[in-house]
This record gives sequence, structure tokens and C-alpha cells, in this order.
Amino acid sequence: MSQYQIERVKTGIPGLDELIEGGFPRGDTILIAGKAGTGKSILATQFLYRGAVDYGEPGVLVTLEEPPRLIKRNMMRFGMDLDKLEKEGLLSIVDLSPARPTPLNIGEYPSFDLSGLEAIIMHHVKKIDAKRVVIDTISILAYKFKTRDILREELFKLCAHITEQGCTLLLTSEIPAQDTGLGVFDIEAFLASGVIVLYNEKISDTSRSRSIEVLKLRGSKHSPRIHSMRITDEGIRVWPGEISPGT
Amino acid sequence: MTDADTDKDRSESEDDSDKIEVLFFKSDTCAFCPRAEEVLRTTLEDFGADMFKVIVYNVSKEPEKAEEYGVFALPTIIIGGMSVTGIPEPEIIMKMILGSRLGTRS
Repeated sequence: MSQYQIERVKTGIPGLDELIEGGFPRGDTILIAGKAGTGKSILATQFLYRGAVDYGEPGVLVTLEEPPRLIKRNMMRFGMDLDKLEKEGLLSIVDLSPARPTPLNIGEYPSFDLSGLEAIIMHHVKKIDAKRVVIDTISILAYKFKTRDILREELFKLCAHITEQGCTLLLTSEIPAQDTGLGVFDIEAFLASGVIVLYNEKISDTSRSRSIEVLKLRGSKHSPRIHSMRITDEGIRVWPGEISPGT
Repeated sequence: MTDADTDKDRSESEDDSDKIEVLFFKSDTCAFCPRAEEVLRTTLEDFGADMFKVIVYNVSKEPEKAEEYGVFALPTIIIGGMSVTGIPEPEIIMKMILGSRLGTRS
């Protein structure tokens, strides 16, 4: 039996660490995939909040979709004060949401890289010596850029450069409503060494049930089942062992 | 064409106020940027060098500028509220220049 121990990073999601040998391997890239409304952004932000408050690990939240004031408002519902963390230098929010006015892009030639996005993120990472980074959601990049081949390669490089700094990186990916894949890129699964899928499936005409599945996590023995998940007053909580109804 | 690569050159002078502002975003690692800058400068020269004020932002040194303008990809050229990504064709730069001129006419 190998004596080698992988250093792990606690997820901050009650019940999830038990499913993945204690946490995400440090420095890994983890994909959180799910359809709209399944709780991806809450999970990812909770990962940062608890990482900062419970484990003293500063984090960077890169928001490509929701404006920071709405994220802050929504997370206050769970008692998570992101403003306070920002003031304490434990959280840095990078606002790249569409709410900010930006120039209208009238042309894209297949000769670019994402070093702009990388420079922005790394600036924030270095500013607060972040150990956790969230990009919510990478699906937006698929709508911003037409040249998918370049985008895929650049995303790989971006993830590699962020994790080389010692950060554990969470990417959220939106699965379109009728899709059975993991998102809009068709390579999301290859980008990450871990994939977690969130569900919110209809179980009757009047109710839905939330659940979570660890689809893959390299280097870890993870539970193969789909587990019950709920959004409580304190955030997302997983009930390992309680098999989700409808499975 | 006036160039403003450093902070002290970037202050608005009376001569610059009529000029069309051209922002060019590059980085230390961007392989396409030198060629894009060449195409840009040649096109601006053809148009009439005195009409423009080119500001070059190297996001490796000034990442806040990339964030301020929401620039993810490099090279990016911004003229008159429009942007183009990658090594541009001269025609699209001309479109942006004309668009910005139309926008500033009162």
C-alpha cells in the first residue's frame, strides 16, 4: 500500500469531503457542472467563503455572469458576508460580468490568446496571496469567442498557470437545458482532474429533488453514487449515503 | 501620431484633444501582438498619422487596465467604443476609425 498522501483542500461543503477522501487534491482543477438553477455558483462561492473563514485560505472569485452586488446579496441569505471578507483581504472579486459596460466587439480573428484574462486573474491572486480561485462560469467564454480551437487551448493554459501558483481552481459550467453533456465546450471534462455534477430533477408534477454526483476525481477514491443535496439556511449541504430519490 | 506608453506621456495636451484615441492591448507573452501592432500602425499611418493618439497598454505590467476595459484576449484594439481581437485586417481598423468619427460629430 502506498504511503504517499495527497494534500487535500477542504471543500467547505458539509458532507462533500466524505465523498472525496477528505477534500479536493490541492492544486487541482475541478469542474462543477449543472443545468441552470442547480446551485453551481452557490457551491463555488461557498468553497471560497468557507476556505477563507474556516481555513484561512484567501480566494479569488472571477464572475463572468452575475454582477458582484447580486452575488453578495444572494450569499448574505446564508449568512456569508462577502463584503466583510473583501475588506479583510480574504476575498477578491473580479467583475467581468456583462453588467459592466465594455467596448462592442466587431471582429475576432483566429490569432489571439487569453493572456489578458490570465493577467487580470493573476493580479488578484498575487494581491491577496490566494489559495483558491473560482471562475463562474466558463460557459460565458463560449459565447464571447467564436474560435473554439483557440479557446480550448487557451483555457487549458489558463488553468495550468493558475494552478501552478498553488491555487485550487473551481470552474463552473452550465449544461444547456436539453443537453446530456457537461457544458457548451465539449471538452470541459478534459480540462479538469475532477468533475462534480449537480442535479435538480423533477420527481413529481409538483416537486424537484437536488442531488450531487462526483463523476470523476483523479487520484482519489470517490463515491460512485448520486447523493442528496439541499440548499439550507447555511448554504449547500450534502447528505452522503442518503441516495437521492429518483435514482 | 502621438504615442503614450508611459504615465507622463498620457496626460491630455491641447493638441491631443481632437485626436482619435486608439487603445492597443498587448502582453509580454502574446505571440500575435507584434504583428497586430505593425498592422495597426501601418493602417493609421496610411490614414494620416496626426489624427491619432495611440495608447499602448502592456497588461503584464498594467493588468488593471485589462480589467477596466474588460479585455480578456490579446491582441485587442479599441477605437471609439468598438474593439477587435486578433491580428486585424486593415479594413476593420478603418471601419472603427470611421465609426468613431461619425460618433464624435455634433
